[in-house]
Amino acid sequence: MNDNILEIKDLVVHFETDDGVVRAINGLDISIGREKTLGLVGETGAGKTTTALSVLNLVPNPPGKIKSGTIKIDGKDVLTMSDAELENMRGNDVAMIFQDPMTALNPVMTVGDQIAESIELHQHLSGKEAFEKAKELLKLVGIAENRAYDYPHQFSGGMRQRAVIAIALACEPKLLLADEPTTALDVTIQAQVLALMKELIERRHMSMLLITHDLGVVAETCDDVAVMYAGRIVEIGTADEVFNATSHPYTEGLFNSLPNLHERGEELIPIKGLMPDPMDLPKGCTFAPRCAYATPACEGKVPALRPMGGTHYVACDAYDDPNFRLRRNQNG
Amino acid sequence: MNQTSSVEILKKYRGRSMAQETFRRLIKNRGAIIGACFLLFLIVVAVLSEFVFDYDTQIIGMNPLALYAAPGPEHIFGCDNMGRDIMARICYGARYSLSIGIGSVAIGLCFGIILGSLAGFYGGVIDNLVMRANDILYAIPNIMIAVVVVSILGTSPSSLLFSLCISAASSFTRITRAAVMQIRGREFIESAYAMGLPTWKVILRHIIPNCLSPIIVQMTLAVGTNIISASSLSFLGVGIPVPLPEWGAMLSDGRAYIRSAPWMCIFPGLAIMLTVLALNLMGDGLRDALDPKLKK
Amino acid sequence: MIRYILKRLVLMIPTILLTSLLIFWAMSLTGGDPVMTILPENATIEQQEALREEMGLNDPFFVQYFNYVKGILRGDMGESYVTRMDVFKTFMNRLPMTLALGGTALIFSVIISIPLGIWTALNQNTWKDTAGMVFALFGVSMPNFWLGLMLVILFSLTLGWLPSGGSGNVRYLILPALTVGLGLAALITRTTRSSMLDVLRQDYMTTAKAKGASRRRVIYRHGLRNAMIPIVTAVGMQFSYVMTGSALAEKVFSWPGIGLLVADSITKRDTPMVTGAIILCCILMALINLAVDIIYAYCDPRIKAQYSRKG
Repeated sequence: MNDNILEIKDLVVHFETDDGVVRAINGLDISIGREKTLGLVGETGAGKTTTALSVLNLVPNPPGKIKSGTIKIDGKDVLTMSDAELENMRGNDVAMIFQDPMTALNPVMTVGDQIAESIELHQHLSGKEAFEKAKELLKLVGIAENRAYDYPHQFSGGMRQRAVIAIALACEPKLLLADEPTTALDVTIQAQVLALMKELIERRHMSMLLITHDLGVVAETCDDVAVMYAGRIVEIGTADEVFNATSHPYTEGLFNSLPNLHERGEELIPIKGLMPDPMDLPKGCTFAPRCAYATPACEGKVPALRPMGGTHYVACDAYDDPNFRLRRNQNG
Repeated sequence: MNQTSSVEILKKYRGRSMAQETFRRLIKNRGAIIGACFLLFLIVVAVLSEFVFDYDTQIIGMNPLALYAAPGPEHIFGCDNMGRDIMARICYGARYSLSIGIGSVAIGLCFGIILGSLAGFYGGVIDNLVMRANDILYAIPNIMIAVVVVSILGTSPSSLLFSLCISAASSFTRITRAAVMQIRGREFIESAYAMGLPTWKVILRHIIPNCLSPIIVQMTLAVGTNIISASSLSFLGVGIPVPLPEWGAMLSDGRAYIRSAPWMCIFPGLAIMLTVLALNLMGDGLRDALDPKLKK
Repeated sequence: MIRYILKRLVLMIPTILLTSLLIFWAMSLTGGDPVMTILPENATIEQQEALREEMGLNDPFFVQYFNYVKGILRGDMGESYVTRMDVFKTFMNRLPMTLALGGTALIFSVIISIPLGIWTALNQNTWKDTAGMVFALFGVSMPNFWLGLMLVILFSLTLGWLPSGGSGNVRYLILPALTVGLGLAALITRTTRSSMLDVLRQDYMTTAKAKGASRRRVIYRHGLRNAMIPIVTAVGMQFSYVMTGSALAEKVFSWPGIGLLVADSITKRDTPMVTGAIILCCILMALINLAVDIIYAYCDPRIKAQYSRKG
């Protein structure tokens, strides 16, 4: 039996629009072990949400198209599944928590019905039994049972996100895809929701792909971290490796952009420039135009992931020079 | 290389202005181009027919030799009960449909934008007053308003124009008010105030330009609607008086001869349909061009 | 909800009063002298004057209007100058014909247009979509009285299948209903398509798919109910179109409904008939609009909540 619940290999996803081809994901490899949580970190537009939708084979088509690659859940390739197999997998084996709880719920169905739907579809229970289970789930995520009869517009943002989590958990999936589950929430609610998710995942022995741009959230929740830039993984490893032995200039940039509460007065060093236009990616390393360490050689070819010891990999050709160190690591 | 400033990148993204971008999308839309070409052709026909045809003999005069002539090489669309060439009358009649359609919308638009932006911007008493009056107009089917107005002012092209601009004004008031109310609360309006712009400048520079797309689209479609309404009223006998060659009036005349000379009904209606079709094609094209997210 | 309906009904009263005042005023300007219409040509001046006095035509305008409103409350809207029949009764006699025509047209168009709209939206940017949209575009661009005449030429005069006018059994209803219904169907098709396209893009549709719901289930259970909200509004707003369309179709097919009544009354300068018919039409429209708003509330719980709150 395979150790990994999710294995993505060489995934390429393009959006073909009237104005040109948007290269959202360009050869992505990640895997998630059983009962592990992988944090997928990157800026807006790096292709994180598209990655999650690809796992469910739900990339909006048209214009989105999965060009190549394999996505294996429990050893079975999602991209070759029939419609019936896909429907059986979605919500049952893999469930997703969406970014914006304000729009992720159907405004004309009661919250209870929306949670019950998933149970009804996969566990073949009657509508009434499913609704009873939906109430239990609401209680589990900290909402009074009788609110199951309410509509989404009667819920606050935090409550809606809890309801979305309840939908995702309804059939006890093996893998949870959480797409920035706390971004749209207030800071205090963020912590509550995060704690709730962490607890439920541990209790139910689930794995999770946590998509976020918040390194603090990653540090708190994840076993492994993958850093994504312009549709590729640039650094991947355990949380400890990525946080304490940061190897990619982009990851370093992300850390430097983070205000540090313990060393107030320390200057923030933002990353220069913007993400490249995904319709017109630079040749070679896509981060080179913004990279403080870039050399002309960087524009030549796309760097492959290279091992940095243990499970730690980085895609940066500066390490061709054995003495190369990021500034962050030079005096520590 | 790595010094590329964010400004330069932004420039690359925003190389074209909003209007240029809209125009670029519009000319890619085949329907809109066909519609625009047809309308242009129609305007040329309406203007030229003034010089080509003689009003007294060819348009309203009687020609006993060609009574009920069927369509053929001499009279492409045939002749009517007075022996008048239908094609000549349709070409000449284009002016009524176009000027009433465009004129009523233009006048209605002016009133609608003023009333709608006042109501939407200030709210309160003004809003209540404008919208209650609008509700009353809304409760009466447009054609009845027109019937009442025309029966007061008598049948003539100008009273028809006036009666149709009432309903146009009412719909533009609604659209403008809704757009203004939606935009009024946005943060960039507050920031315009924070920069010290006076209210009228905020309305003129920030609010009106942002409401333009629904208004432009509605304009095109309203011209089409009003052309149909105008011909409907003529058909009911309360529009343009005979013997003016208005398309609806020609249809109304033709109805009596539908058995013997069906071409009297077919061609004027075809002219109305093609004109409105062209306007609708343009309206749809404009809507897609102004709001690209609706298309994808 | 019931309180909301009652409130709306109460609010309708000032609107109708104001509307009737406007129409009464407008018609008093145009009416000409009814006395000449009613009395035989050889009537004396005294007879004319006596009739004027009896009809209250010498009273000031507001007294006339006040008396008229008092009449309405008793269901008395005066008599036709031409037929001497009670206006309210005449209107009520004609109403079923118009309702039958408008209702058939509406049902026919909804049956065609909603499935067509959904179908085109689901097949966006394919030839099926294009075909449906071309049909709809022609439908909305066609003056429906012209369509009626074309149907007469085709089905009555050329093929001889259906009567070209008048009223009687169901066969007389088919062409007028098609005349009104096709244009309406085109309008609703366009609304349904754009509303459905809008809904298909929403996040909650992705949520539903991610739960493992089948495509059918996602579209019909999650999509359609949301898409129905703008569709119901659009259908509701088309009632004035139905009225206008029916009036024209009635004229084309000599269908004895309200539209024909108003058109005839205008030509005959039958002021009480025109005034009464227009006011009654407005009341009818107001009631229909209320009904639409209630249906709307049942489609959208957010609006229902709003109504109950404001109640």
